[in-house]
Amino acid sequence: MADALKLRFADEATVNRIADLHEEPDWMRADRHAALKLFNELPLEANPLFTLYVDLRQAKLDTIEPYLETGDAPEVSNVVPEGATALIEIADDRVVARALSPDAGRAGVVVDTLTHGLAEHPQLAQSVRAMIEGGASLPDDDKLAQAARALAPMGVLVHVPRGVVLDDPIVVRWGAGTPGRGLISRTLVDIGENAQVKVLEEQVATEAHATADDGQSLWWGTSEVRLGQGANLSFGAQQDFGPNTLAFVNRHATLGRDAHLRWALASVGAAIHKSRIDNRLVGRGSSVSQVEIGFGDGRQLFDLTSYTRHIGEDTTGDLLSKGVFLDRARGYFKGMITIERSAKGTDSFLGEFAMLLTKAARSVTIPSLEIDQPDVRRASHSSSVGPIDESEIFYLMSRGIPRELARKFIVLGFLEPVVARIPLEQARERLRRLLDAKWPSTSGEVAA
Amino acid sequence: MTLNQRQMVDNDRSRFDFKDEIVYLTQTKRGLTRETVEEISAIKEEPDWMLQFRLRAYEHFLKRPMPMWTDGLDRIDFDKIMYYRKPSEREEKSWEDVPDQIKATFERLGIPEAERKFLAGVGAQYDSEVVYHSVKEELSKIGVVFMGTDQALKEYPDIFKKYFATVVPPEDNKFSALNSAVWSGGSFVYVPKGVEVPLPLQAYFRINGENTGQFERTLIVVDEGAKVHYIEGCTAPIYATDSLHVAVVEVIALANSNVRYTTIQNWSNDVYNLVTKRAHAYENSRVEWIDANTGSRKTVKYPSIYLRGRGASADIISVAVAGKGQHQDTGAKAIHLAPDTKSRIVSKSVSKDGGRATYRGQLKVAPGATGVVASVRCDALMLDDESRSDTYPYIDIQEDDTTMTHEATVGKISQDQIFYLMSRGLTENEAQNLVVQGFLEVFTKELPMEYAIEFNRLVKLEMEGALG
Repeated sequence: MADALKLRFADEATVNRIADLHEEPDWMRADRHAALKLFNELPLEANPLFTLYVDLRQAKLDTIEPYLETGDAPEVSNVVPEGATALIEIADDRVVARALSPDAGRAGVVVDTLTHGLAEHPQLAQSVRAMIEGGASLPDDDKLAQAARALAPMGVLVHVPRGVVLDDPIVVRWGAGTPGRGLISRTLVDIGENAQVKVLEEQVATEAHATADDGQSLWWGTSEVRLGQGANLSFGAQQDFGPNTLAFVNRHATLGRDAHLRWALASVGAAIHKSRIDNRLVGRGSSVSQVEIGFGDGRQLFDLTSYTRHIGEDTTGDLLSKGVFLDRARGYFKGMITIERSAKGTDSFLGEFAMLLTKAARSVTIPSLEIDQPDVRRASHSSSVGPIDESEIFYLMSRGIPRELARKFIVLGFLEPVVARIPLEQARERLRRLLDAKWPSTSGEVAA
Repeated sequence: MTLNQRQMVDNDRSRFDFKDEIVYLTQTKRGLTRETVEEISAIKEEPDWMLQFRLRAYEHFLKRPMPMWTDGLDRIDFDKIMYYRKPSEREEKSWEDVPDQIKATFERLGIPEAERKFLAGVGAQYDSEVVYHSVKEELSKIGVVFMGTDQALKEYPDIFKKYFATVVPPEDNKFSALNSAVWSGGSFVYVPKGVEVPLPLQAYFRINGENTGQFERTLIVVDEGAKVHYIEGCTAPIYATDSLHVAVVEVIALANSNVRYTTIQNWSNDVYNLVTKRAHAYENSRVEWIDANTGSRKTVKYPSIYLRGRGASADIISVAVAGKGQHQDTGAKAIHLAPDTKSRIVSKSVSKDGGRATYRGQLKVAPGATGVVASVRCDALMLDDESRSDTYPYIDIQEDDTTMTHEATVGKISQDQIFYLMSRGLTENEAQNLVVQGFLEVFTKELPMEYAIEFNRLVKLEMEGALG
């Protein structure tokens, strides 16, 4: 296992080089070194509950050369897409679009790379430092998160001042897929008191024609979220990388009093999609709603871990993961709800549901609970795995729908609750098309 | 529970807290070495294959690291444990021959009455050797074998060797290796083809002696079309230092057989109870584990059923009560290896006074096991906010036509229920006791009457401890 995460660039020289290139302040450099130390000490999976369900055998990390120098492309678009408030787009190692609506700009919203954004808005430096120094915005027991903290040469900053309400989403778009190359990044999302925001993260393939022989590429990133008192964030993400990309994702959110967070996360692409979400419900009355789907085929592996920690009183967690697996695809759903002694009045639900559509597909669900406070409104989890319900197929067929189409409708209906929560109409449509395209074109013939 | 039953409930816990002065005739030195293993085998005059088996297990025990997925096991000091002691020279056939002092101990536990009333057979384990053992004539007549495991090795060598360690090999885990190296005592049951044992077979196991390890080994073979219910209940005196109980139970349910194994575990609160219990269920057989844990300092036990034949079914009810200083790390496993197999797991736990109840379970559907239907249900009650409850289910499905559902809830006793019962004249303590007994009824109702009464009494004792 120790070899599974062999990074030939995880050394002090690389860390210093990145800090030099970005002319980072001393505290940031020190923070990188602290993270590198943790990275080297940590096992691939620190939680003994989950050590048997980590599989990076398909990952060839030692063949990947990470980008160290990042920056703007020769031409950077400043066009805000229709229906959005802002866009920052990074293709491989280059910023190709940076656009912000005039209203949002006037309200003090910043959507930029960390280096460029802090140069333009030096008054934010203190707040960014308070948010991330000492690894406060990432789990300290996660090797992958610490690698991002140590080695990311690219950061994105989304800053929304207190009281700002944005109707249209902020779009953060990442392109990856160049064989043999990888981008490590961090995304900081800092939402002030009573602000209301939607963020959409899109992860797309840059090399449309990559084949299995071309070698792997890597996208390794974070979403580090801080929600002030009464803040409200709806965060949607769609991952549609090519079949040779490795996607490693850490999402970590700390919620203040009465803050509300909604995650809607969909993953379709990548060879391995390994993600960990940490929700920290610190403020009284805060809530998180999380829906997550993976739709896999071929030999794809979706390794989806989710930790939700109830700390404040009267907090709510509503977490739902769904997976659909074809061919030899696998899903590992590892969930952990922790209710600390201080968290009286918790309402917590974790659901993990999978559909296996072929014999060789596999689903592992581990919906765990650790509870130190019995004074709860609800603490439960639920899980099921099953084939498509024959009575549902029969019903649809009785309405004149061919069998294979009926199966497809049922599967897409199973996933639709997540699709419906993606915060941008075009993105929802795109995700529906992606899910539709996942459906094997040959299976209609098999059924007929 | 009727009023009558309630009057029968004796809440004098000191009944279980006694220690007799026993002169041990044969015992090994404290600590575990290769010589200890050889000595145990020599005292028992075992065949060479068993000695070799023990030594192989001992080597594996040394190599195998301590499990990391549960905590507190590093407190066990294997060097302080006595691995073998034998309280009397030979196995007794009739009650009259049993030494008076041991007899007195059993009388306090109620064995003779139970035997007179209901029992088909009694195997009572006093420390590491079966000292009292009787099989009613009718059982012998229908060919049922029920005896100490050591005796069975001598008297039924063929059937013993055919099945021994086939379900739980020494290499399965660190503690199955330890048991395999030093095992002593336990029950051996063989039920021939088509025979239905009309009454439950019962065995009482007891630990006595400070720092005595108890390493019994139970092997139950139920031949085709046969049926048996085996009951194991434990009580132990209370001592200050840690005691260790490491057992292995193997059940082989051949085609069309029906096996139920019931356990009430009530070790004293200084015992580390680390047990590997596993059954192989063949074609169209049915295996049930009915498992309750109220005692011990720490119990690590997940009764498992490997469904190996088409149409086999598994039913596991696991109940745990964790009080002050206790950690019940219990659960169940159903491993589906054959088509059209079914399993149901129901777990109920109660934690209180800083106790910790952990459900840890596994449900696995292997490639080729088509048409599986499985369910897992875990409910936990926490009686105060000093206590802790964990749920760790592992569900690994590798066939696309599996139907699996899993549900879990954790919560406290409903105050509405308490107020209602108090309005009917019960004290708060009685009301809580009744609610907890109701919560655990899924288990209690599966027990024979006298065990149900004893179990409810144990729960009541635990509850009174809670409320001081």
